[in-house]
Amino acid sequence: MIPRRYGMVIDLDLCTGCGACMIACAAENNVPPPQPRATDRTGITPMRVQPVSNGATGADRREAFIPLLCMQCQHETPCVSVCPQQAVEVDRATGIVTQMPQRCLGCRYCMAACPYHARYFNWWDPQWPPGMEKTLNPGVAVRMRGVVEKCNLCHARLHAAEDKAAAEKKAAIDPADYVPACVESCPTQAITFGDLANAGSAVAQASRSRESFRLLEKLGSEPKVYYRSERAWVRELAERPARAPEVKRG
Amino acid sequence: MNPTRRDLLAWSGGAIAGLILTPVPWKLLGDSAKWTQNWPWIPQPARGPVEVKQTACALCAKGCGIRVRMAAGAPVGLAGAATHPVSDGALCPLAFGAHQLNWHPQRLRQVLHRGHPASWQDAVAAFRKAVAEGPVAVVDGRPGRAASAVLEAFAKQHGSYHAVATREEQSLAPYAEWSGVPTAALGYDFANVSTLVSFGAPLLDGWGTPGSFARRWSRRQVRLIQIEPELSRTAACAWRWVAIRPGSDAALAAGIARTMPLEAAAQQSGLTPDAIEELTRTIVAEGPVLAMSADAQPAVAALNLALGGSVVQRREYAAPRVPLAGSHRGILIDSTVPWEYEPQASGEVFRFAAWSGGGSHADWLLPAPGFLEELTDVPSAPASAIATYALAAPLMKPGHPVSSAVEFVGASIEEAIRARCERISRDGAGRLYRPGEREPVALAGLKLEEELMAGAVWVDNPKNTKIVRCKLKNWPSEVGRSEARRSWTANWAPPVLPPLAAKLFQESNLRERPEGSLV
Repeated sequence: MIPRRYGMVIDLDLCTGCGACMIACAAENNVPPPQPRATDRTGITPMRVQPVSNGATGADRREAFIPLLCMQCQHETPCVSVCPQQAVEVDRATGIVTQMPQRCLGCRYCMAACPYHARYFNWWDPQWPPGMEKTLNPGVAVRMRGVVEKCNLCHARLHAAEDKAAAEKKAAIDPADYVPACVESCPTQAITFGDLANAGSAVAQASRSRESFRLLEKLGSEPKVYYRSERAWVRELAERPARAPEVKRG
Repeated sequence: MNPTRRDLLAWSGGAIAGLILTPVPWKLLGDSAKWTQNWPWIPQPARGPVEVKQTACALCAKGCGIRVRMAAGAPVGLAGAATHPVSDGALCPLAFGAHQLNWHPQRLRQVLHRGHPASWQDAVAAFRKAVAEGPVAVVDGRPGRAASAVLEAFAKQHGSYHAVATREEQSLAPYAEWSGVPTAALGYDFANVSTLVSFGAPLLDGWGTPGSFARRWSRRQVRLIQIEPELSRTAACAWRWVAIRPGSDAALAAGIARTMPLEAAAQQSGLTPDAIEELTRTIVAEGPVLAMSADAQPAVAALNLALGGSVVQRREYAAPRVPLAGSHRGILIDSTVPWEYEPQASGEVFRFAAWSGGGSHADWLLPAPGFLEELTDVPSAPASAIATYALAAPLMKPGHPVSSAVEFVGASIEEAIRARCERISRDGAGRLYRPGEREPVALAGLKLEEELMAGAVWVDNPKNTKIVRCKLKNWPSEVGRSEARRSWTANWAPPVLPPLAAKLFQESNLRERPEGSLV
């Protein structure tokens, strides 16, 4: 069977910055409500939408929103190479960079190594208001304090799709059965998800378009998350050195 | 026995070999890893049969279609209903965490009389006394429902009925004045627009149903020209953003329509006369055009008519939006009324709410059913082009005694909904969209109420939507009331936000924290 390479193309010209993907991701993956002390650095946002601008002021100012998640690096994956516990690996069958919280000892080397700041540490015990634990997604285990986590392209949904295919005695899953929560929740359908190894798939075709690009492509880690924009200034942001985002929290 | 050096080496070698070969330390390591991941205070997801149900979201007036994943009797995830004719699979960000709201710490679980716990019997006795002494005013936040008809009938018998208009309806107020059609029956037909000129309406940030305009915009079927002083989210995503001076909407609209000299319009708006001329040419280059504003702005409505744009009238039960005023013995406020609403009238206030937002002046706070806990009907979304009807089925039971305003006045919502379903069935017009099916079916031979309970949506025949004819003799001289920029949660009826909403403003820099919100 040909190995799959799951990835996505996010059309930044369609992202309105509503944040539906962030909340849908957290609900799907049993991310707890934030502690009062949690900040943009210590909170858990496996999918994070970052507002960016062209730097101009007044009527010349333009803004865009970049959803940031684990880029699912295929080549010399930085987090995999530094993990002393082998808690991170690139799944050969799917290309998904998986994180095993059971093996993680919380050293956070992977967080330092990730060029995209796409990894988050559980600084607190996961807690919900009394009774709210009934709303936890039964397909996803709650992570404990002291481990790192990140986007795994809604692995539980992949498992459910594989279970369904096995029950129907099919060799491969139906692509419609495996849609990550962020993709499903986007009200403008800005995210195209699928198997990049399948040259005929919509995601593979979109990734080859002239307007598509990847963040920090020069690092050579072959991320499987592509972006697309017709705006040149947005595309230029991809290779710009990272700056600390302006902190603006309530 | 005297151990020799050879014995010592043999024992050491044996111990090392035993340590490597025995499974005990590895088992202990594994067990300790599991033990540290199963602290008793770490919740475990409940196990149970998983089922997916489709219904309508009743948290605001728009009634988007939702797919609710239920496990062990509780909702564990929400998603948009893909083929829903109202929302087209799209939901607002808050909806994705809404299933957690029923366990929100601010959930109102007890009858409160001026801040002190009281019983339902006390509340009923106090209300009966108010009704006997009369008059009683009823305030409804979502008119047009079956519950509204019940409350209106009760109110007309014992006092007066009042309704609160949504922000979408407010922008239609000028057309209602010029045409005589009630605001509640007016709507915008986005499906037949190629160029949309928006004077500050947050079309991509919470205005109307997420599926109504955003999906059309995302398919690049419409040019959005956003005229606004600030670079809002909608302006950032618009095909073109025109930055003007705050409060100069009316002047620019008059300038585009040439009912004001270009120089004067330019002076007020901060644009140049050439820029206004170029903007006008751009607007009319690709029709049909629709111009709209965020609030009631007569000049923008007049510009819309001048550009050949229109608004439509859908077939709708339309209760007049009469604001509450004067003196009443009792004031009954339905749970659909936004929490920040304060009655501008005197009287003993009986307020229904599922969540307490704090700081209420109500004499009685009465716990109402929460999300997915009551049967209610969802009529057309405000400002929609076509009449629709759906039901929000009760998928779970509340954990404490609750009552809706309809039950409180001694009526039955089931009967009212049945009567409305029978009326639609008798009429026979329109089609029914079943969950997961793209093609609608005719009503003949269907049990409408059962279908709607299973997540279907009734949509009226498009022939029953007609273009409104407005009588406008002179260009409106009054400048519309343009309210301050509203929060992105302006349409959200509960006073609390889902806890996960904090991801957007506490754990990231995406949005401003909404003022006065409780998370």
